[in-house]
Amino acid sequence: MTSLIKKASLSLNRVCFKRGIRTILDNVDFSVSQGELVLMTGQNGSGKSTLLKITAGLLKPQQAQVRFVPHDGQQGSYPWPRLKKLLRRKVCYLHQHPYLFHGSVYDNVAYGLKRQKMSKQEIEQRVVQALQEYSLESLIHRDCHELSGGEKQRVAIVRSWITRPEIILLDEPFSNMDKESRKKSYALIKQMCQQDIAIVLTSHDPLIGELSFDQHIHLYQGKMTHKSV
Amino acid sequence: MNDLTDASIQALQLLLSGDAEVWNIISVSFTVSLKAILIATVPAIAMAFVLAYYAFPGRRFVITLFNTALAIPAVVVGLTLYLLLSRSGPFGDLHLLFTQEAMIIGQIILAFPLLVAMSHASLQSSDQRAWETAITLGASAFVAAVTVIREVRFGLMAAIIAAFGRIIAEVGSSMMVGGNILNYTRNIPTAIALETSKGSFVEGIALGMVLLTLALLLNFFLTAIQGKAEVIHQ
Repeated sequence: MTSLIKKASLSLNRVCFKRGIRTILDNVDFSVSQGELVLMTGQNGSGKSTLLKITAGLLKPQQAQVRFVPHDGQQGSYPWPRLKKLLRRKVCYLHQHPYLFHGSVYDNVAYGLKRQKMSKQEIEQRVVQALQEYSLESLIHRDCHELSGGEKQRVAIVRSWITRPEIILLDEPFSNMDKESRKKSYALIKQMCQQDIAIVLTSHDPLIGELSFDQHIHLYQGKMTHKSV
Repeated sequence: MNDLTDASIQALQLLLSGDAEVWNIISVSFTVSLKAILIATVPAIAMAFVLAYYAFPGRRFVITLFNTALAIPAVVVGLTLYLLLSRSGPFGDLHLLFTQEAMIIGQIILAFPLLVAMSHASLQSSDQRAWETAITLGASAFVAAVTVIREVRFGLMAAIIAAFGRIIAEVGSSMMVGGNILNYTRNIPTAIALETSKGSFVEGIALGMVLLTLALLLNFFLTAIQGKAEVIHQ
Protein backbone atom coordinates (compact mmCIF):
# COMPACT_ATOMS: atom_id res chain seq x y z
CA MET A 1 0.00 0.00 0.00
CA THR A 2 2.75 2.44 0.93
CA SER A 3 4.54 1.82 -2.37
CA LEU A 4 1.59 3.44 -4.18
CA ILE A 5 2.11 6.68 -2.26
CA LYS A 6 4.66 9.01 -3.79
CA LYS A 7 7.51 9.48 -1.35
CA ALA A 8 9.64 12.60 -1.05
CA SER A 9 13.28 11.99 -1.84
CA LEU A 10 16.51 13.85 -2.26
CA SER A 11 19.58 12.67 -4.09
CA LEU A 12 22.91 14.40 -4.44
CA ASN A 13 25.34 12.94 -6.93
CA ARG A 14 28.99 13.68 -7.62
CA VAL A 15 29.12 16.38 -4.95
CA CYS A 16 32.40 18.29 -4.91
CA PHE A 17 33.24 21.03 -2.47
CA LYS A 18 36.53 22.87 -2.09
CA ARG A 19 37.69 25.50 0.35
CA GLY A 20 40.64 27.25 -1.24
CA ILE A 21 42.86 24.47 -2.51
CA ARG A 22 41.58 21.97 0.07
CA THR A 23 39.09 19.41 -1.19
CA ILE A 24 36.42 18.83 1.44
CA LEU A 25 34.11 16.57 -0.61
CA ASP A 26 35.19 14.62 -3.65
CA ASN A 27 32.49 13.03 -5.83
CA VAL A 28 30.19 11.97 -3.02
CA ASP A 29 26.82 10.36 -3.81
CA PHE A 30 24.07 10.49 -1.25
CA SER A 31 20.33 9.97 -1.27
CA VAL A 32 17.56 9.84 1.28
CA SER A 33 13.83 9.11 1.07
CA GLN A 34 10.88 10.07 3.22
CA GLY A 35 10.81 8.31 6.59
CA GLU A 36 14.33 6.90 6.25
CA LEU A 37 16.89 7.02 9.02
CA VAL A 38 20.42 7.50 7.73
CA LEU A 39 23.63 7.31 9.74
CA MET A 40 26.65 9.23 8.51
CA THR A 41 29.98 8.43 10.13
CA GLY A 42 33.54 9.56 9.61
CA GLN A 43 36.43 11.15 11.44
CA ASN A 44 36.54 14.85 12.31
CA GLY A 45 37.21 16.79 9.11
CA SER A 46 35.94 14.02 6.84
CA GLY A 47 33.29 16.34 5.35
CA LYS A 48 30.15 15.21 7.20
CA SER A 49 29.02 18.67 8.32
CA THR A 50 29.81 20.15 4.90
CA LEU A 51 27.67 17.50 3.19
CA LEU A 52 24.83 18.20 5.61
CA LYS A 53 25.09 21.96 5.03
CA ILE A 54 25.00 21.45 1.25
CA THR A 55 21.95 19.22 1.69
CA ALA A 56 20.27 21.97 3.70
CA GLY A 57 21.00 24.58 1.02
CA LEU A 58 23.34 26.51 3.31
CA LEU A 59 26.48 25.88 1.25
CA LYS A 60 26.78 25.91 -2.52
CA PRO A 61 28.81 23.00 -3.90
CA GLN A 62 31.28 23.64 -6.72
CA GLN A 63 29.77 20.65 -8.46
CA ALA A 64 26.73 18.48 -7.76
CA GLN A 65 23.76 16.93 -9.44
CA VAL A 66 20.91 17.45 -7.05
CA ARG A 67 17.51 15.93 -7.58
CA PHE A 68 14.78 16.76 -5.14
CA VAL A 69 11.29 15.30 -5.20
CA PRO A 70 9.28 17.13 -2.59
CA HIS A 71 6.19 15.51 -1.15
CA ASP A 72 3.92 18.08 -2.76
CA GLY A 73 5.95 19.28 -5.71
CA GLN A 74 7.11 18.35 -9.17
CA GLN A 75 10.20 16.24 -9.35
CA GLY A 76 13.23 17.56 -11.09
CA SER A 77 16.65 19.13 -11.05
CA TYR A 78 16.60 22.85 -10.47
CA PRO A 79 19.21 25.57 -10.88
CA TRP A 80 21.00 26.27 -7.58
CA PRO A 81 19.15 29.49 -6.56
CA ARG A 82 15.76 27.77 -6.90
CA LEU A 83 17.00 24.53 -5.41
CA LYS A 84 18.53 26.42 -2.47
CA LYS A 85 15.15 28.02 -1.69
CA LEU A 86 13.40 24.67 -1.99
CA LEU A 87 15.92 22.90 0.25
CA ARG A 88 15.74 25.65 2.86
CA ARG A 89 11.97 25.23 2.97
CA LYS A 90 11.91 21.46 3.15
CA VAL A 91 15.13 20.51 4.92
CA CYS A 92 16.06 21.48 8.47
CA TYR A 93 19.68 21.42 9.66
CA LEU A 94 20.73 21.27 13.29
CA HIS A 95 24.27 22.21 14.33
CA GLN A 96 26.45 20.00 16.50
CA HIS A 97 26.13 22.67 19.19
CA PRO A 98 22.69 24.02 18.36
CA TYR A 99 22.16 27.74 18.45
CA LEU A 100 19.25 28.88 20.57
CA PHE A 101 18.11 32.46 20.11
CA HIS A 102 17.98 34.83 23.08
CA GLY A 103 14.67 34.33 24.81
CA SER A 104 12.61 31.54 26.28
CA VAL A 105 12.13 27.96 25.14
CA TYR A 106 8.70 29.04 23.88
CA ASP A 107 10.21 31.83 21.75
CA ASN A 108 12.67 29.39 20.20
CA VAL A 109 10.21 26.62 19.44
CA ALA A 110 7.72 29.14 18.04
CA TYR A 111 10.33 30.78 15.74
CA GLY A 112 9.76 28.53 12.71
CA LEU A 113 5.97 28.59 13.11
CA LYS A 114 5.96 32.40 13.07
CA ARG A 115 7.63 32.20 9.66
CA GLN A 116 4.71 30.08 8.46
CA LYS A 117 2.31 32.94 9.19
CA MET A 118 0.15 31.04 11.68
CA SER A 119 -2.14 32.75 14.15
CA LYS A 120 -0.79 33.44 17.62
CA GLN A 121 -3.29 31.00 19.13
CA GLU A 122 -2.36 28.21 16.73
CA ILE A 123 1.35 28.75 17.39
CA GLU A 124 0.78 28.62 21.15
CA GLN A 125 -1.29 25.47 20.87
CA ARG A 126 1.26 23.67 18.69
CA VAL A 127 4.24 24.70 20.82
CA VAL A 128 2.60 23.53 24.04
CA GLN A 129 1.52 20.27 22.38
CA ALA A 130 5.00 19.62 20.95
CA LEU A 131 6.73 20.29 24.24
CA GLN A 132 4.26 18.05 26.07
CA GLU A 133 4.80 15.30 23.53
CA TYR A 134 8.54 15.32 24.19
CA SER A 135 8.29 15.86 27.96
CA LEU A 136 9.75 19.34 27.78
CA GLU A 137 6.67 21.27 28.91
CA SER A 138 8.26 22.16 32.25
CA LEU A 139 10.88 24.20 30.38
CA ILE A 140 8.46 26.30 28.33
CA HIS A 141 9.11 29.63 30.08
CA ARG A 142 12.76 28.98 30.95
CA ASP A 143 15.43 31.20 29.41
CA CYS A 144 17.34 29.10 26.87
CA HIS A 145 20.68 30.14 28.32
CA GLU A 146 19.76 28.46 31.62
CA LEU A 147 19.31 25.03 29.99
CA SER A 148 21.76 22.16 30.18
CA GLY A 149 23.52 20.95 27.02
CA GLY A 150 21.15 17.98 26.66
CA GLU A 151 18.06 20.12 27.20
CA LYS A 152 19.27 22.61 24.61
CA GLN A 153 19.77 19.82 22.11
CA ARG A 154 16.30 18.39 22.69
CA VAL A 155 14.66 21.82 22.49
CA ALA A 156 16.52 22.42 19.22
CA ILE A 157 15.31 19.07 17.81
CA VAL A 158 11.70 19.89 18.73
CA ARG A 159 12.15 23.39 17.23
CA SER A 160 13.19 21.76 13.93
CA TRP A 161 10.51 19.08 14.03
CA ILE A 162 7.62 21.45 14.72
CA THR A 163 8.12 23.20 11.36
CA ARG A 164 7.22 19.87 9.67
CA PRO A 165 10.24 19.59 7.37
CA GLU A 166 10.55 16.61 5.04
CA ILE A 167 14.15 15.98 6.03
CA ILE A 168 15.95 16.77 9.30
CA LEU A 169 19.74 16.78 9.36
CA LEU A 170 21.26 16.29 12.81
CA ASP A 171 24.96 16.99 13.21
CA GLU A 172 26.27 15.02 16.20
CA PRO A 173 22.96 15.37 18.07
CA PHE A 174 24.02 13.30 21.08
CA SER A 175 27.37 14.95 21.77
CA ASN A 176 26.12 16.99 24.75
CA MET A 177 23.81 14.39 26.24
CA ASP A 178 23.92 12.02 29.17
CA LYS A 179 22.53 8.49 28.87
CA GLU A 180 19.02 9.47 29.93
CA SER A 181 18.81 12.39 27.48
CA ARG A 182 20.10 10.14 24.70
CA LYS A 183 17.40 7.60 25.31
CA LYS A 184 14.77 10.33 25.17
CA SER A 185 16.28 11.63 21.94
CA TYR A 186 16.36 8.16 20.36
CA ALA A 187 12.63 7.88 21.09
CA LEU A 188 12.08 11.32 19.62
CA ILE A 189 13.96 10.39 16.43
CA LYS A 190 12.09 7.08 16.03
CA GLN A 191 8.81 8.97 16.40
CA MET A 192 9.83 11.46 13.72
CA CYS A 193 10.67 8.67 11.28
CA GLN A 194 7.26 7.13 11.94
CA GLN A 195 5.81 10.49 10.92
CA ASP A 196 7.54 10.04 7.55
CA ILE A 197 10.26 12.59 8.21
CA ALA A 198 13.66 11.53 6.86
CA ILE A 199 16.44 11.87 9.42
CA VAL A 200 20.12 12.01 8.58
CA LEU A 201 22.44 12.06 11.55
CA THR A 202 26.14 12.01 12.16
CA SER A 203 27.42 10.38 15.31
CA HIS A 204 30.39 8.95 17.16
CA ASP A 205 28.07 7.51 19.79
CA PRO A 206 28.76 3.77 20.35
CA LEU A 207 25.21 3.31 21.73
CA ILE A 208 23.73 4.47 18.47
CA GLY A 209 23.09 0.81 17.63
CA GLU A 210 19.83 1.18 19.56
CA LEU A 211 18.46 2.92 16.49
CA SER A 212 17.86 0.85 13.37
CA PHE A 213 19.18 2.67 10.33
CA ASP A 214 18.04 2.31 6.75
CA GLN A 215 21.41 3.45 5.42
CA HIS A 216 24.93 3.84 6.74
CA ILE A 217 27.33 6.14 4.94
CA HIS A 218 30.99 6.44 5.89
CA LEU A 219 33.15 9.33 4.75
CA TYR A 220 36.93 9.37 4.82
CA GLN A 221 38.87 12.47 3.79
CA GLY A 222 35.98 13.77 1.71
CA LYS A 223 35.27 10.51 -0.10
CA MET A 224 32.52 8.04 0.48
CA THR A 225 34.28 4.81 1.40
CA HIS A 226 31.37 2.71 2.55
CA LYS A 227 27.65 2.65 1.93
CA SER A 228 25.33 -0.03 3.20
CA VAL A 229 21.57 -0.34 3.13
CA MET B 1 39.28 77.93 41.75
CA ASN B 2 36.76 80.13 43.59
CA ASP B 3 35.77 81.71 40.26
CA LEU B 4 35.08 78.30 38.82
CA THR B 5 33.00 77.28 41.86
CA ASP B 6 31.03 80.53 41.80
CA ALA B 7 30.46 80.22 38.07
CA SER B 8 29.32 76.62 38.48
CA ILE B 9 26.81 77.57 41.20
CA GLN B 10 25.48 80.42 39.06
CA ALA B 11 25.28 78.05 36.09
CA LEU B 12 23.23 75.59 38.10
CA GLN B 13 20.92 78.39 39.23
CA LEU B 14 20.56 79.50 35.60
CA LEU B 15 19.54 75.98 34.56
CA LEU B 16 17.10 75.56 37.44
CA SER B 17 15.56 78.99 36.85
CA GLY B 18 14.25 77.67 33.52
CA ASP B 19 15.99 80.39 31.49
CA ALA B 20 14.21 80.30 28.12
CA GLU B 21 17.31 81.01 26.05
CA VAL B 22 19.38 78.26 27.66
CA TRP B 23 16.61 75.68 27.42
CA ASN B 24 15.96 76.62 23.80
CA ILE B 25 19.62 75.94 23.02
CA ILE B 26 19.33 72.56 24.76
CA SER B 27 16.16 71.80 22.81
CA VAL B 28 17.83 72.62 19.45
CA SER B 29 20.74 70.37 20.36
CA PHE B 30 18.57 67.38 21.18
CA THR B 31 16.15 67.89 18.28
CA VAL B 32 18.92 68.06 15.68
CA SER B 33 21.02 65.19 17.08
CA LEU B 34 18.06 62.87 17.69
CA LYS B 35 16.81 63.41 14.14
CA ALA B 36 20.31 62.79 12.76
CA ILE B 37 20.78 59.56 14.70
CA LEU B 38 17.28 58.34 13.81
CA ILE B 39 17.92 58.89 10.10
CA ALA B 40 21.45 57.40 10.15
CA THR B 41 20.86 54.28 12.25
CA VAL B 42 18.84 52.01 9.94
CA PRO B 43 20.94 52.48 6.75
CA ALA B 44 24.16 52.27 8.77
CA ILE B 45 23.18 48.95 10.37
CA ALA B 46 22.01 47.63 6.99
CA MET B 47 25.37 48.63 5.49
CA ALA B 48 27.23 47.00 8.40
CA PHE B 49 25.21 43.81 7.90
CA VAL B 50 26.04 43.68 4.18
CA LEU B 51 29.74 44.20 4.97
CA ALA B 52 29.70 41.48 7.65
CA TYR B 53 27.64 38.84 5.86
CA TYR B 54 28.11 39.25 2.11
CA ALA B 55 31.24 38.85 0.03
CA PHE B 56 31.56 41.24 -2.92
CA PRO B 57 34.45 42.80 -4.81
CA GLY B 58 35.81 45.85 -2.99
CA ARG B 59 34.35 44.86 0.37
CA ARG B 60 37.62 45.34 2.24
CA PHE B 61 38.15 48.68 0.53
CA VAL B 62 34.71 49.89 1.70
CA ILE B 63 35.48 48.75 5.27
CA THR B 64 38.78 50.65 5.14
CA LEU B 65 36.96 53.76 3.88
CA PHE B 66 34.52 53.69 6.79
CA ASN B 67 37.30 53.12 9.30
CA THR B 68 39.19 56.06 7.81
CA ALA B 69 36.07 58.23 7.93
CA LEU B 70 36.05 57.77 11.71
CA ALA B 71 39.03 60.08 11.91
CA ILE B 72 37.55 62.91 9.82
CA PRO B 73 37.35 66.06 11.99
CA ALA B 74 33.86 67.58 12.34
CA VAL B 75 35.17 70.90 11.04
CA VAL B 76 36.28 69.27 7.77
CA VAL B 77 32.80 67.81 7.32
CA GLY B 78 31.42 71.28 8.05
CA LEU B 79 33.75 72.93 5.55
CA THR B 80 32.90 70.43 2.80
CA LEU B 81 29.18 70.78 3.44
CA TYR B 82 29.51 74.58 3.52
CA LEU B 83 31.10 74.54 0.08
CA LEU B 84 28.41 72.21 -1.25
CA LEU B 85 25.49 74.12 0.25
CA SER B 86 26.68 77.71 -0.21
CA ARG B 87 24.99 79.77 -2.93
CA SER B 88 27.78 79.16 -5.43
CA GLY B 89 27.95 75.43 -4.53
CA PRO B 90 26.24 72.59 -6.44
CA PHE B 91 23.40 72.38 -3.89
CA GLY B 92 23.06 76.13 -3.30
CA ASP B 93 19.57 76.20 -4.83
CA LEU B 94 18.28 74.09 -1.98
CA HIS B 95 18.86 77.02 0.43
CA LEU B 96 19.92 74.68 3.22
CA LEU B 97 22.91 76.60 4.54
CA PHE B 98 22.43 77.97 8.08
CA THR B 99 19.40 75.77 8.74
CA GLN B 100 18.78 72.90 11.16
CA GLU B 101 18.51 70.59 8.14
CA ALA B 102 22.10 71.39 7.20
CA MET B 103 23.18 70.64 10.77
CA ILE B 104 21.32 67.33 10.61
CA ILE B 105 23.07 66.43 7.32
CA GLY B 106 26.44 67.24 8.88
CA GLN B 107 25.71 65.14 11.95
CA ILE B 108 24.49 62.22 9.82
CA ILE B 109 27.80 62.31 7.93
CA LEU B 110 29.67 62.27 11.24
CA ALA B 111 27.56 59.53 12.84
CA PHE B 112 27.33 57.20 9.84
CA PRO B 113 30.93 55.88 9.74
CA LEU B 114 30.98 55.37 13.52
CA LEU B 115 27.68 53.49 13.39
CA VAL B 116 28.86 51.34 10.48
CA ALA B 117 32.27 50.56 12.00
CA MET B 118 30.94 49.65 15.46
CA SER B 119 27.92 47.74 14.13
CA HIS B 120 30.15 45.89 11.67
CA ALA B 121 32.46 44.82 14.52
CA SER B 122 29.44 43.59 16.48
CA LEU B 123 27.88 41.71 13.57
CA GLN B 124 31.19 40.21 12.49
CA SER B 125 31.66 38.71 15.94
CA SER B 126 28.10 37.37 15.95
CA ASP B 127 27.60 33.63 15.75
CA GLN B 128 27.26 32.36 12.16
CA ARG B 129 24.97 29.64 13.50
CA ALA B 130 22.32 32.28 14.32
CA TRP B 131 22.01 33.13 10.62
CA GLU B 132 22.06 29.48 9.52
CA THR B 133 19.54 28.45 12.17
CA ALA B 134 17.13 31.21 11.15
CA ILE B 135 17.44 30.28 7.47
CA THR B 136 16.99 26.57 8.10
CA LEU B 137 13.86 27.29 10.18
CA GLY B 138 12.28 28.92 7.14
CA ALA B 139 13.22 32.58 7.61
CA SER B 140 13.77 34.72 4.52
CA ALA B 141 17.16 36.43 4.17
CA PHE B 142 15.59 39.67 5.48
CA VAL B 143 13.99 38.01 8.53
CA ALA B 144 17.22 36.09 9.23
CA ALA B 145 19.12 39.40 9.11
CA VAL B 146 16.65 40.96 11.55
CA THR B 147 17.09 37.91 13.82
CA VAL B 148 20.89 38.24 13.78
CA ILE B 149 20.60 41.99 14.48
CA ARG B 150 18.34 41.20 17.43
CA GLU B 151 20.92 38.72 18.73
CA VAL B 152 23.65 41.39 18.77
CA ARG B 153 21.38 44.22 19.87
CA PHE B 154 23.51 45.17 22.88
CA GLY B 155 26.54 45.84 20.67
CA LEU B 156 24.38 47.82 18.26
CA MET B 157 22.91 49.89 21.11
CA ALA B 158 26.44 50.72 22.22
CA ALA B 159 27.18 51.88 18.65
CA ILE B 160 24.09 54.11 18.60
CA ILE B 161 24.92 55.62 21.98
CA ALA B 162 28.53 56.25 20.99
CA ALA B 163 27.45 57.90 17.73
CA PHE B 164 24.87 60.05 19.55
CA GLY B 165 27.53 61.08 22.05
CA ARG B 166 29.80 62.12 19.20
CA ILE B 167 27.30 64.25 17.30
CA ILE B 168 25.68 66.02 20.22
CA ALA B 169 29.08 67.24 21.36
CA GLU B 170 30.52 68.23 17.97
CA VAL B 171 31.01 71.91 17.31
CA GLY B 172 32.86 72.17 13.97
CA SER B 173 30.15 71.09 11.57
CA SER B 174 27.24 72.72 13.41
CA MET B 175 29.08 76.03 13.63
CA MET B 176 29.95 76.11 9.93
CA VAL B 177 26.68 74.95 8.38
CA GLY B 178 24.31 76.07 11.15
CA GLY B 179 25.70 79.56 11.61
CA ASN B 180 24.99 79.65 15.39
CA ILE B 181 21.71 81.58 14.97
CA LEU B 182 19.95 82.18 18.31
CA ASN B 183 16.69 80.27 18.78
CA TYR B 184 17.22 78.42 15.50
CA THR B 185 20.60 76.78 14.94
CA ARG B 186 22.44 77.56 18.17
CA ASN B 187 23.06 74.28 19.94
CA ILE B 188 24.97 73.44 23.12
CA PRO B 189 28.53 73.16 21.69
CA THR B 190 28.25 76.26 19.48
CA ALA B 191 26.72 78.23 22.35
CA ILE B 192 29.55 77.19 24.68
CA ALA B 193 32.11 78.31 22.08
CA LEU B 194 30.32 81.67 21.66
CA GLU B 195 29.78 82.37 25.37
CA THR B 196 33.39 81.47 26.18
CA SER B 197 34.68 83.82 23.46
CA LYS B 198 32.53 86.59 25.01
CA GLY B 199 33.92 85.83 28.47
CA SER B 200 30.45 84.78 29.70
CA PHE B 201 31.42 81.60 31.46
CA VAL B 202 28.24 81.02 33.48
CA GLU B 203 26.08 80.13 30.50
CA GLY B 204 28.93 78.10 28.99
CA ILE B 205 29.35 76.09 32.19
CA ALA B 206 25.58 75.59 32.50
CA LEU B 207 25.44 74.10 29.01
CA GLY B 208 28.59 72.09 29.68
CA MET B 209 26.85 70.64 32.75
CA VAL B 210 24.00 69.46 30.53
CA LEU B 211 26.45 67.75 28.17
CA LEU B 212 28.31 66.14 31.07
CA THR B 213 25.05 64.94 32.65
CA LEU B 214 24.01 63.49 29.30
CA ALA B 215 27.39 61.74 28.93
CA LEU B 216 27.03 60.32 32.44
CA LEU B 217 23.49 59.07 31.77
CA LEU B 218 24.47 57.51 28.45
CA ASN B 219 27.40 55.73 30.07
CA PHE B 220 25.23 54.45 32.92
CA PHE B 221 22.81 53.12 30.33
CA LEU B 222 25.63 51.58 28.27
CA THR B 223 27.17 49.89 31.31
CA ALA B 224 23.75 48.59 32.33
CA ILE B 225 23.01 47.00 28.93
CA GLN B 226 26.53 45.61 28.64
CA GLY B 227 26.13 44.11 32.08
CA LYS B 228 22.92 42.49 30.94
CA ALA B 229 24.67 41.09 27.87
CA GLU B 230 27.41 39.59 30.05
CA VAL B 231 24.83 37.80 32.15
CA ILE B 232 23.09 36.45 29.07
CA HIS B 233 26.28 35.00 27.66
CA GLN B 234 27.27 33.15 30.84
